Amino acid sequence: MLEVKDVVKSFKTDDHTIKPVNGVSFSLEQGTFAAILGKSGSGKSTLLSLLGALDKATSGDVLVDGVNISALPDSKLTAYRRDDIGFVFQQYNLIPNLSAKENVMLPMEFAGLPRAKRSVRAAQLLNQVELTEDMHNRKANKLSGGQQQRVSIARALANNPKLILADEPTGNLDDETGELIIELLRSLCHEKNTTILVVTHDQALARKTDRRFRLARGKISEITHH
Amino acid sequence: MSILARSVGNAFRNKVRSGAVVIILAVAIGLALSMLVANQAVADKITSLKASVGNNLTVNPAGSRGGQGGGEPLTTADLSTASSVAHVSSVNGTLSLRLSNASTTAPAPAAPEGQGGSRTGRALSGTTSLVSAVDPGTLGNRENGRTSTSAATASSGATASSGATASSGAAVAGSTAVRPAFSIPIEATGVSGSVNAAAEPINITNGTALNDFAATSAQALVGSTLAAKNSLTVGSAFTINDRTMTVSGIFDAGTAFDNNAIYLPLTAAQTLANQPSEISTMTVLVDSIDNVNATKSALASALGSTRVDVTAGPGRVESTIGSLGSVQSISLIGFIAAVGTAGLIVLLIMIMVVRERRREIGVLKAIGASNRSIGVQFVFEALVLVVMGSVVGAVLASVSSNSIVGALVSTNMGTTAAVAGSGRQGLLAARQAAGGFGGSAAPGGGRGAFAGASQLIGTISTSLGWQTLVLGVLGILLIAALGALIPALLTAKVRPIEVLRGE
Repeated sequence: MLEVKDVVKSFKTDDHTIKPVNGVSFSLEQGTFAAILGKSGSGKSTLLSLLGALDKATSGDVLVDGVNISALPDSKLTAYRRDDIGFVFQQYNLIPNLSAKENVMLPMEFAGLPRAKRSVRAAQLLNQVELTEDMHNRKANKLSGGQQQRVSIARALANNPKLILADEPTGNLDDETGELIIELLRSLCHEKNTTILVVTHDQALARKTDRRFRLARGKISEITHH
Repeated sequence: MSILARSVGNAFRNKVRSGAVVIILAVAIGLALSMLVANQAVADKITSLKASVGNNLTVNPAGSRGGQGGGEPLTTADLSTASSVAHVSSVNGTLSLRLSNASTTAPAPAAPEGQGGSRTGRALSGTTSLVSAVDPGTLGNRENGRTSTSAATASSGATASSGATASSGAAVAGSTAVRPAFSIPIEATGVSGSVNAAAEPINITNGTALNDFAATSAQALVGSTLAAKNSLTVGSAFTINDRTMTVSGIFDAGTAFDNNAIYLPLTAAQTLANQPSEISTMTVLVDSIDNVNATKSALASALGSTRVDVTAGPGRVESTIGSLGSVQSISLIGFIAAVGTAGLIVLLIMIMVVRERRREIGVLKAIGASNRSIGVQFVFEALVLVVMGSVVGAVLASVSSNSIVGALVSTNMGTTAAVAGSGRQGLLAARQAAGGFGGSAAPGGGRGAFAGASQLIGTISTSLGWQTLVLGVLGILLIAALGALIPALLTAKVRPIEVLRGE
């Protein structure tokens, strides 16, 4: 379960303070597939970085299964990102000179899983995201965009996270491929009971999710109509 | 995929750049190693020079020098006194005798000498069957007080010859130019080893060195011209004061004067001349040129400053060693500069790599990598470049150190040889030091760079010791690790949020 309570993030510029996230509160049950919609500059990415412990909130609390990550020291944050969070990025962000499988094995290596187990699990995950066997040992930079995003999703799943945060996961893909990726996320969400929060400006994508929020000028509101 | 494997992979990500970096590093490391080799070579040479050139002291009886003057003779007891003085590495006592030809002298070996001796100083100590290889000529006759041509010489010669002529047996007063029987006395030196009075090795061209040093020994070394004049070969016999001596070897001292001489075992010489325990000159080798002055004073006080005169060799050697010392420090500075350059190259290239991969570092942090494992990965990556650079650099060094060491050492070896003059031991040691790394500096140095390269490891390890080589490589690795550490620490500053920034 993800609970966000009155989270504020402010940056000081030369003459004034800007608050891309200004008092955001919401909560998601475990296994929810949710979307946050907003225009560029609405604070979507900032909110995502706070939820993923990539950055610290100025005030407010983010609770993951009751643990307040806003209060964790840096060393615990590394462990939190490793064990409880999975990231999927718009630019995929795979390590280009590693193979698809090696990319998926990376978070498990950080978690200290033995090599043999890493290899087996990585192959399983790649099969789950429907990447064919012959692609497993191909270098990441030799894969197509859709294939790279599949590898990236498998990597996000590697350590069985409670929460997967996806930042514009279909932003660099054509509509058809984007739709396949959304379907994949949706089925994984229900299959593995993982909370998936997708940040997007793509209305079509958002329509596939269980819950939708709109972020505007740092404030969040749930879109209730369908 | 371990961190190490990933680091190796990352090092080769940009092959062109990595190749260029490895080549630049190799040049810097090769230069550093060459400088280290040169530094050690010069250091070794300085040590060997200090211990072999200009470090001898000569002890003469006070008031006496080379047969002139007076005073009381040194004895073999003085030898042991001298050897117990600090920093003395060896003491060599010699006894010089002058032998005249038996057929031109009075038969009695201990024939009365003139009061105060002849103008050449020393009295004759005995006779020999050998004929001097040097013709007296004008100089010999003048020095021995014999008239040659001028009346003035004749008159002064007549005065001086009152004693000398007595010993030569021909009592013709008012000597004339016709004294065909006169010959130059032959120098015989009693030695106690294979070195001469100046503590230099006797250069034996034929036969063997002296090995029977008993008082009854019949061995003798004969100079090459003297041997030729008297038709002596190894094994030939001749007499000194009626003792039959056998030629055990022929030596070449390089000059006509020195080759008209004989070396005898010291105690045999003392017995033959009836001067038991007596020595005329003592040569003391000091362990290093640095201690020469202190040892000089210590020797004088140990032997009695009124009894002996202690003199040191030429001081010019010190200035040569001084200039070698500056070569040594230049090569040390070169080593440090080259290692520093290598470190700087690693530092700059890794800073570049870190900046280039900020986003990737952010990704690794976002998916749970700790700062430490990312830092370690970058240090490994730098070390991979350095190790490759070191390997190529070592090959470069093996090729170039020949010429670098050759230039540094053999040039200075030439200078040293010229200044030190007779420092043969030093020269040999220098040759060994310089020739140690093969090729050009070695005597008969036709060996090329390739042969030098193949011999590098073996010869350096023998002439420099593995420690130097290992220390050099460790130094380079340490600098490289430091150069890599700063960029690695920079990775810790990369925030994982970088990953959300657009390209």
